[in-house]
Amino acid sequence: MSSQDHAALAGPTHRLSRGWWLLAAVVVIALLPFVFQDSYWRTNLIVCALNVMLAIGLNFILGFAGQLNLGHSAFYGIGAYVSTLLIIKLGLPFWAAFVVGIAAAGVAGMALSIFAVRLRGHYLAIASLGFAVIVHQVLVNWISMTQGPLGLYGIRPPPDIALPGLPVISFGNSANMFYLVAGFALLFYLLLDQLARSPIGETLTAIREDEVSASSLGIDCTAWKVFAFGVGSAVAGAAGAFYASFVGTLVPDAFIITESFTILAMVIVGGMGSLSGPVWGAILLTVLPEVLRGFGDLRFILYGAALTLVVLFMPGGMVQAAQTLRARIGRSTPATGSGR
Amino acid sequence: MSSVLLQQTINGIVFGSLYVLVALGLTLIYGVLVQINFAHADVVTIGAFAAYFFTFTLGGNYLASIAVALVVGAALGWLVNATIFAPLRERGSELLPLIATIGVSILLQNAMLLWFGPIPYPFDSPYSNEVIRLGGGTFITWQNLIIIIVSTLTIALLYAFMKFTFMGKALRAVAQDRETAGLMGINPSQLIMVTFVIASALAGMGGAMLGPILVLTPFAGTSVIVKAFAIVIIGGFGNVEGTIIAGLLVGLIESYATQLVNPGLIDIIVFTLLLLMLAFRPTGLIAEKREENV
Amino acid sequence: MTKRAIACLGMAAMFGLFAATNVDAQDKVIKIGGLFPMSGPGAYFGAQDKQGIDLAIEQINKTGVNGYKFEVQYEDSACSPLPATQAAKRLLDQYKPHIVIGEECSDATLAVMPVMEQAKVPLLNAGSSSIRVTEPGNPWTFRIMPNEVMQGVDIATNAYKRLNARTAVLLYENTNAGIGNAKVFGDTFTKLGGKILADIGFGRDVNDFTAIATRIAGLGKVDVIPTYTLEGQGLRITQALAQASVTKGGGGQSIQLGTIWLPFGFEQKAGKAALGYVRIVQFDPTDQRDVVKNFVQSFKAKYNQDPTHINAHAFDQILVIADAVRRGATDAQSIRDRMAATKDFSGVTGSVEFDKTNQNIKMDTIHYMETLPDLSWKALGWN
Repeated sequence: MSSQDHAALAGPTHRLSRGWWLLAAVVVIALLPFVFQDSYWRTNLIVCALNVMLAIGLNFILGFAGQLNLGHSAFYGIGAYVSTLLIIKLGLPFWAAFVVGIAAAGVAGMALSIFAVRLRGHYLAIASLGFAVIVHQVLVNWISMTQGPLGLYGIRPPPDIALPGLPVISFGNSANMFYLVAGFALLFYLLLDQLARSPIGETLTAIREDEVSASSLGIDCTAWKVFAFGVGSAVAGAAGAFYASFVGTLVPDAFIITESFTILAMVIVGGMGSLSGPVWGAILLTVLPEVLRGFGDLRFILYGAALTLVVLFMPGGMVQAAQTLRARIGRSTPATGSGR
Repeated sequence: MSSVLLQQTINGIVFGSLYVLVALGLTLIYGVLVQINFAHADVVTIGAFAAYFFTFTLGGNYLASIAVALVVGAALGWLVNATIFAPLRERGSELLPLIATIGVSILLQNAMLLWFGPIPYPFDSPYSNEVIRLGGGTFITWQNLIIIIVSTLTIALLYAFMKFTFMGKALRAVAQDRETAGLMGINPSQLIMVTFVIASALAGMGGAMLGPILVLTPFAGTSVIVKAFAIVIIGGFGNVEGTIIAGLLVGLIESYATQLVNPGLIDIIVFTLLLLMLAFRPTGLIAEKREENV
Repeated sequence: MTKRAIACLGMAAMFGLFAATNVDAQDKVIKIGGLFPMSGPGAYFGAQDKQGIDLAIEQINKTGVNGYKFEVQYEDSACSPLPATQAAKRLLDQYKPHIVIGEECSDATLAVMPVMEQAKVPLLNAGSSSIRVTEPGNPWTFRIMPNEVMQGVDIATNAYKRLNARTAVLLYENTNAGIGNAKVFGDTFTKLGGKILADIGFGRDVNDFTAIATRIAGLGKVDVIPTYTLEGQGLRITQALAQASVTKGGGGQSIQLGTIWLPFGFEQKAGKAALGYVRIVQFDPTDQRDVVKNFVQSFKAKYNQDPTHINAHAFDQILVIADAVRRGATDAQSIRDRMAATKDFSGVTGSVEFDKTNQNIKMDTIHYMETLPDLSWKALGWN
């Protein structure tokens, strides 16, 4: 993928249209809990928001920095367990534990990255997989600390927010919880978007395209790869903290390696390397299994088939499909510097 | 006490041979195609089911069912490669085929769940419970002996194939440098198909031999696949001798670890070893001739 | 006038009858939610639960109960907290059941309990052994199966007193149920004066148990080996222990102890390796009570296979609900109240009577069996 295509895939670069997109996203997020009032769909909305967070974090590592990370579930789990255990065992307030959880996940990501910095391609893939297995097994076996498969129960949602003059905001209310998680997802998206458009993003792209040339230009590839990994895994850690406080129950098997594959699928199906792609991929692959519940036993067969077919016929994911559609309808591309 | 240690050594060698069976196909595919195939585990499972149904539903001979499973595995390999991997390879991406193998794996597992159900099938061969007393309090079952013998034979055959036949040499050529091999008149895609078929046949055969040892459900293969990948890396991607040594090593580690610590820690030990290998000797136990990923 | 009057009366009567039967057909249904794992490895449970429930409902609907028909809707809970919560909410929001049966895995059940309590719909469970399902005393959760404490204390005490066991090796799968049950056994056994020689937990992905069997063989005199695992791994464990000459089936001295998790028919699959196995059995298909004989017969007729304890539990759960309906329950609240007051109920797996925490405390659901050389069961009559 050339950097021109990359910029094109990133979406409209014009300040104004980005502003409109942002406004649209805020409006949609605000309205969704009114459209879906029952607890089942609100739960799905929150899970969507969590998956969006996971997908954009992985995409930063994979699509922008070009590192084949198959162990993203490990950071999800670290964020969840570290924040929850700090609250349960040390009585830390939620938001403090939240920050520590994010930091822990970020540090773990950087540690894995430093370790794997000489590896590329499939070696890194298996190393990250091995790391995820180790993390999961530690969570399972360190029963005195994590309770292992016995599980942690009764985890409370984030504490109520009481602002003067306004009614108390309780996060036991699923609409509020959704706003919180989706709000953070949007925040992280904007942050990553800024990073991608900044010189940092260009550096990462250079490293991804051709590491040898990049280092000959004086770029410290190691440092940047570690940085990207840290950022992506920190976002996953945040998702983990929210997961725990939302589901209320924490067991190690929520973070097995197949969870990593699901997140990877979201990134690929949505369209890797573009920032908005993984968002769509996450939404689709969260909603699809729910909608397919009516198909009973065929549910996961259809899921697997869908995944395989998308990869076969639409490797650029939904973003590519949308662009092909747009091109066919004959609309002109947004006026930016990235000609086609 | 030493008879326990001796027995655990025997157990380790047996475990090791089991892993080698599964890992061989993986290492072949990686060596020639440079591709990780997550659906490999499911071919092993399907091989086991094929052997089960041949033996119990059709009343066939168990040893013959191994051949049946081999053919089933080969056929499946041909099908999957023709319909999914060959078209994808033309795109030149290394990530897409990997995702496709994940999709195929989900498909196969859930199709098996639909057809075979989730309840474990009690697959016992006439050999799985027959014990040979080796003296000093140690033992081995006939099934395990068969596995060791067949693994050894297969490896020897594979070796001979790779070293002495034209096809084998061509495979190694493609593994070294696909473009140049193409220039020499070797048809890479045909060879890739051959590799896939051989690897899947090995997987199917492995499944038939593992069936009487595994807990036979549609998820049986997944219980060995991640460790099999670890073995392939520890041994050196694409390196057959390395895979064998690594497989035996991991088998021995498992049985000694079971003796001394909680079996739940085995995965942690094996994968920490993997990470250490990657840190200090990424090319694997036996240095590869190729240097591309370091 | 009279003719018209009669005609009018007749029409009114017919209309009334028509309206009444129509109202019956539409209103008198007991809606049951089935929250079971249908995907992934947990499908092992869900598939069997469905068989038992479908059979029970089919039989009940032949006559109905107090004019009510039973209806079930299944949702896949995948044996895990988040999918189980999603499935439960979907059931509650869309199907609006009067009662929900499920889950199987303890962590999924524990995760779902607050959701059910908030919705004020009773949850009837017969698969999760964790004591935490009932101990805190949740008014909306009921369990008919004996929990880990009931089973564990009982079998450990019997091992010590009746089998004169003084040494034990704990062998269990690394799940909520495995760890929990093993812990209860260990605590009880040590308190009585016994000694735990080894505490061996293994993952659900372990296939070959020869190394574990070898380790146990090297421990010297092991009297009992309480084994907490499902039938797939259980089979391999029993075979490995016999091969290593640890258990009686292999010429050794140790006795494997099991709980209700192993189905009838296990011995036939394990062969002579299972000799001397002593286990708690909740469902005994050779039981001579009518309810059991009818169940076994109709199950075989419908599915062409022998029923397992999971089928039996699922079947009993419907019977328990039917019993509550028979005593006047019509909606979620009344089903909850009538179930709590269940008395003199006898199902396929035994009697049901709930204590203050809605745990079934009837111990006649716990029978002990020993495997004989011909692979049949000998009832030990310890309860």
